Amino acid sequence: MSPGRFLPVVVNDRESERRTPAKPLYRIPDAARDPFTPCPPLPPLRAGENDLTRLAPGRPQAGGEAIAITGRVLDEDLQPVRRTLIEVWGANARGRYSHVIDAGRNDAPLDPNFYGFGRLLTDDDGRYHLRTIKPGAYIARKDIGWWRPPHVHFSIVGSGVRLVTQMYFPEEPLNEKDYIFLIVPETDRSRVIGQPIASADGDRSFRFDIVIRGRCQTPPDLD
Amino acid sequence: MPNRSAAPPFTAEATIGPFYPGAFLAHIPQDLWTVAPLVAHHPAGQPIVFVARFVDSLKRPVPSLVVEFWQANAYGRYRHPLDRSDAPLDPQFDGFARVRTSDDGVARLVTIKPGAHPVNSDGGGGGAIRAPHLRLTIFASGIDRLVTQVFFDDEPLNQSDPLLQSIADARVRDRLIARRQTESGEDDAIEYQLAIVLRGDDETPFFDDWQPSGGGPSGA
Repeated sequence: MSPGRFLPVVVNDRESERRTPAKPLYRIPDAARDPFTPCPPLPPLRAGENDLTRLAPGRPQAGGEAIAITGRVLDEDLQPVRRTLIEVWGANARGRYSHVIDAGRNDAPLDPNFYGFGRLLTDDDGRYHLRTIKPGAYIARKDIGWWRPPHVHFSIVGSGVRLVTQMYFPEEPLNEKDYIFLIVPETDRSRVIGQPIASADGDRSFRFDIVIRGRCQTPPDLD
Repeated sequence: MPNRSAAPPFTAEATIGPFYPGAFLAHIPQDLWTVAPLVAHHPAGQPIVFVARFVDSLKRPVPSLVVEFWQANAYGRYRHPLDRSDAPLDPQFDGFARVRTSDDGVARLVTIKPGAHPVNSDGGGGGAIRAPHLRLTIFASGIDRLVTQVFFDDEPLNQSDPLLQSIADARVRDRLIARRQTESGEDDAIEYQLAIVLRGDDETPFFDDWQPSGGGPSGA
């Protein structure tokens, strides 16, 4: 069999240089190919988990600019990925993550009103809506002056699809200098940039549609 | 079926980065023997602990790596809407867990030995029998999603498994076969160990699950 894809290394990223397989991926033979990407039962969510701008409903709003991100999640047939878990996380307005791993490497302050992670489900049309704070840029490698542009991480799991990606913002000069953004093929870059749309509720709003390889399966708890 | 001659506008995958929230780990099962404290819970099958040690090209451990495990139950049935086999579901086994590696690059999957099963005919498998295996989806800072499958060294069906045997080089196949440990640990569980080498001369084989058109979707 011919080899599968070859995964590129992110230049100047030491973890990518040391962790990306050097050999092409192996193809899955037809005799072992089945349509099973996990379709696990997923836990219920609490109210307000899709609003990252507050630690909990009724608590003070975090610093920085509150924004809304909305869109649809579609499978490879462009059918909606229904009732499926989206996990989203990002840095605060000053470019600092609440993750303990960021404590040793980032001088920017924590925001006591911002944890920077949330969860939500897509609806029956694959639509989702969340609020967060526009993340700040942060320096990834001081020795070469590599800054990560503002970005929001997305993970979609369940219903027979799996994707982890990052959403960028339009008109950010740092995008074109970011090695993780630049590893995206040029023709695909516009699809990982949120598009400004008219605001429904006063927050500046971005549309981010997501298309995933694989076919949405009805989650087992809806079957 | 929609026309698939033009590639859909797929969203590019990206690294999970260093800051995947620990809260998300707490929301998904990490231990398939336990559903909640103080609940008597006994999935069918042989309890096992699979200990995976992840290393990079410098043979250094990879901490904070997130690995999702997915498997059939002891009867060889997946909790998945497309698994139409006659094998029974286990009401106490969902077969999906997500764990994070420790500072020494080790992830422990506390589970049961999966059963063998025929390949789902929708996938064009033609009835081949899959040896017991775990399916791994791997995320870490510096890499995009990786998928592979792990087998057990005490399973004769490995010799005819269509995925394992599609790898021509026996030394490479060996890198997907977890070794049974003689000194086993907790309760009556059997422990298996495997080093997963992300990059290097003895690199673990990873699979390409972006299927060519017509093959249908797949997870490795």
